[in-house]
Amino acid sequence: MRELGAMWRNTRMVVLCAISAALYAAVLVPFKVVPLIPGVTELRPANAIPIVCSFLFGPAAAWGAAIGNMIGDFFGGVGPGDIFGFFANLFYGYIPYKAWNVIAQGQSPVARSPGAVASYVAVCLAASVLCADIVGWGDNLLSFRPFSILGNIIVFNNMASALVLSPLILIAVYPRVRRGRMLYADVMPEFKERPWSVRAAGLLLLVAGEAGAWLMGNLVSTGYWAPSFLSAAMTQAPYDKAIAIVVSPFILLAVVGVGLM
Amino acid sequence: MPIFLYIERATFIHRLHPTVKVFALFVMFWSVYWVDHPLALLPLAAVMAAAAQITGAWPNFYRLRWLFILVVFFTTLAWMVFYRQGPALINLPLIHLSRASLLFGLGRGLKLAELLATSVLFLSTTKVEEFTAGLARLGVPYRVGFAITLSFRLVPLFIDSALTVVQAQNLRGYDFNRGGPLERVRRYVPVVIPVFMGALRKANSMAMALEARGFGMSRQPTSFIDYPVEAGDLAATAALFALGAVYFIIYYTGYGAISPG
Repeated sequence: MRELGAMWRNTRMVVLCAISAALYAAVLVPFKVVPLIPGVTELRPANAIPIVCSFLFGPAAAWGAAIGNMIGDFFGGVGPGDIFGFFANLFYGYIPYKAWNVIAQGQSPVARSPGAVASYVAVCLAASVLCADIVGWGDNLLSFRPFSILGNIIVFNNMASALVLSPLILIAVYPRVRRGRMLYADVMPEFKERPWSVRAAGLLLLVAGEAGAWLMGNLVSTGYWAPSFLSAAMTQAPYDKAIAIVVSPFILLAVVGVGLM
Repeated sequence: MPIFLYIERATFIHRLHPTVKVFALFVMFWSVYWVDHPLALLPLAAVMAAAAQITGAWPNFYRLRWLFILVVFFTTLAWMVFYRQGPALINLPLIHLSRASLLFGLGRGLKLAELLATSVLFLSTTKVEEFTAGLARLGVPYRVGFAITLSFRLVPLFIDSALTVVQAQNLRGYDFNRGGPLERVRRYVPVVIPVFMGALRKANSMAMALEARGFGMSRQPTSFIDYPVEAGDLAATAALFALGAVYFIIYYTGYGAISPG
């Protein structure tokens, strides 16, 4: 995650971050009025933008996703849960290009081979699940909504945009941006990646952590599993303490994995 | 459609120091967080209603009235599914309707509505520059604050250019309303691409213009806008501390809790 700090020293990356954020918010805001589940979440075709921007602008897109989501929240009201939304979107914009660099190794994200398509789906899923985990975990920690509501809707919402819209935009803009030498690798050529083995280990930790968090979050917040090592009071709704104890280590594992990538 | 909620007025609350406003946001979130019982949340609602009256923010509350109603209704309903405490008043499938679950769900719904109301008040009285100035005072780096401000400024520009593209495509006979919901969303992809490419064309010149003006030369650049701390800011800070303390005492003494029986 070193480049998340290093990018702020590059003026062009700062501008690309602002552009990514504004594009995300510009699509997010008009769809605020189309709720998917009223009071919980809305239809978010805008979620296609962080994925596209991630492959183009790398770390600038990660911050752009976080800031863009914050601007979207400003339109419909902010709350403490939005702090988790900020970091969830940061990872949603950060994971796609990082995970792609590990598993596709230099392949273009607009390649149409079966391997490239499978890799694309995998990286989008990895990004979507961690984003959902963080928002669901945070909202349940604050006892606002159960993990199982947001933790699942966000995966669906993110994946629908990432699979239906992002490829269409990416196919149209990626070759143009590459020709214009505006890809993050062109703008920040000085940045060097870690050895592949370390990044692959990071990806494994990410997948293990986010899958564990998603599974445990769902089991605990629906009451299907009441861990025996917790007191009876902790395993009752709103499950905030149980979620804190059971899900937090998995979230931490996933974040460590992202750090190594 | 107005994108942001800011209402130009010359009230005492509008004139507060940006850092005090960010602190007020935090104190309201803090106060709402500690109590669960709907009755304990009512005094905060009264404080917010008074602030809305003083600041003239009612038009924004009216604009978001359905969001408030839906947040309370669906949150109450969701918790009546998950919070299965107390004897059921009526036997319903899936929903556990008891006095405790109703109170708990309503309390969560009101909490979220009050958080929303807090943010509406904040956004009705705070400009983007003030918000970023407040963040800067709290230690957020200048470049991050700049990216946030630039993103806010670019959103209406991108929405405008998207509307222009939509009108141009309509003139050429392109029908955005054909097909089901998914197809309709996909039909907007040709709108996103020119907006995206137009934004990228600006990125290079924007970065050069910024560097020509010495962007990033100093870690703490000077600003045209100065926000002096006045007596009203100190009084407001003291009142906010008192409010936060009172709500923590309500929590600590157990008056804000809901008994599961």
